[in-house]
Amino acid sequence: MDKPDQRLFEADLASAEFRAGALKVYWGLAGTDVLLKQPEWPLRILWVQAAPRADAPDRFYLQLDLEGYRTISPTGTFWDPSTGSSLVHDKRPKGKKDSRCTKVFRTDWEGGRAFYHPYDRLAAAGHPNWVTEQPSLIWDSTHTIVDYLEEIHSLLNSGDYLGL
Amino acid sequence: MAGEAIELFIHSQGAKPKVAVAAPHEVLRDVLVRAEVITEGQEELLVFVGEWEEALAEPDEVENGEDAHVPVDLSLTIEALELHRHRHVHVHKCRRVAVEVHFNGGTKRHRFSPATTIAVVTQWARKKFKLDPAAGAEYVLHICDTTAQPRSSEHLGELVKPPVCAICFKLVKEITPQG
Repeated sequence: MDKPDQRLFEADLASAEFRAGALKVYWGLAGTDVLLKQPEWPLRILWVQAAPRADAPDRFYLQLDLEGYRTISPTGTFWDPSTGSSLVHDKRPKGKKDSRCTKVFRTDWEGGRAFYHPYDRLAAAGHPNWVTEQPSLIWDSTHTIVDYLEEIHSLLNSGDYLGL
Repeated sequence: MAGEAIELFIHSQGAKPKVAVAAPHEVLRDVLVRAEVITEGQEELLVFVGEWEEALAEPDEVENGEDAHVPVDLSLTIEALELHRHRHVHVHKCRRVAVEVHFNGGTKRHRFSPATTIAVVTQWARKKFKLDPAAGAEYVLHICDTTAQPRSSEHLGELVKPPVCAICFKLVKEITPQG
């Protein structure tokens, strides 16, 4: 039987907010075109559309750990469907110097195993100062996977995103 | 006429949007009653379809502009309303949402359709305040007197609670994570 966190995540995949973004091809759950089946819960592979840039893919895959969803925020990083493991740093999206894009996708922190963003469980745990510095981006149980994906999608479609 | 069922997103004031599935020949009123967004015979609500972006074409010199989004006739079918293309249905008591955005000591105002996304309002505000498109991407909207930063895909109609058909935002630079 599915766990409560898994049931809640699956309900959010069926929500209007997630479905509307999926219909616009902004994001989705990775399908059988890239993996035989989704990994065991609490891991899930999703993808997010990226703005066109020379020699860069039109989407990036993420592997997220959703343990305790939504009480606890997701954590994860870019994933490579061709290797079935974390995306090597050379193939990760890059941003303009000192931009939010560069900061959130940084690879010089925790080996790039999580996004450097207040929504990410690992990053938030190590930065209690963010609660006061960025109160609008503090995860609570009213947030959903759509909040997380919108942040990544927004960065991958900003003027600061340069490609690989 | 038979046809494939269409997935619709129904937005209403102060509530999370709902998914509804409808056949092309169905009348919109019946779909909204089935989705429990309106009740049988309820007439006072306004219904808009689509996501409205008219403000983005507003000339810079226009102050206090207003959208022209017209409510639809609920007795029309899903097919006649071209909802396979529009997808979004907004049920609201506000014909317009009066928005004011504060930035750098200035204020810009526009009366938007409730079917306008925060992404469009943000883009409109960056343009009105003449922010450089490259630098302006990091500016987002916060609701005045709160720390709330609505998602870019949220619609104005979901954020206001009639009879108040107005909302105030501050345009702020998003903080880059540090530390």
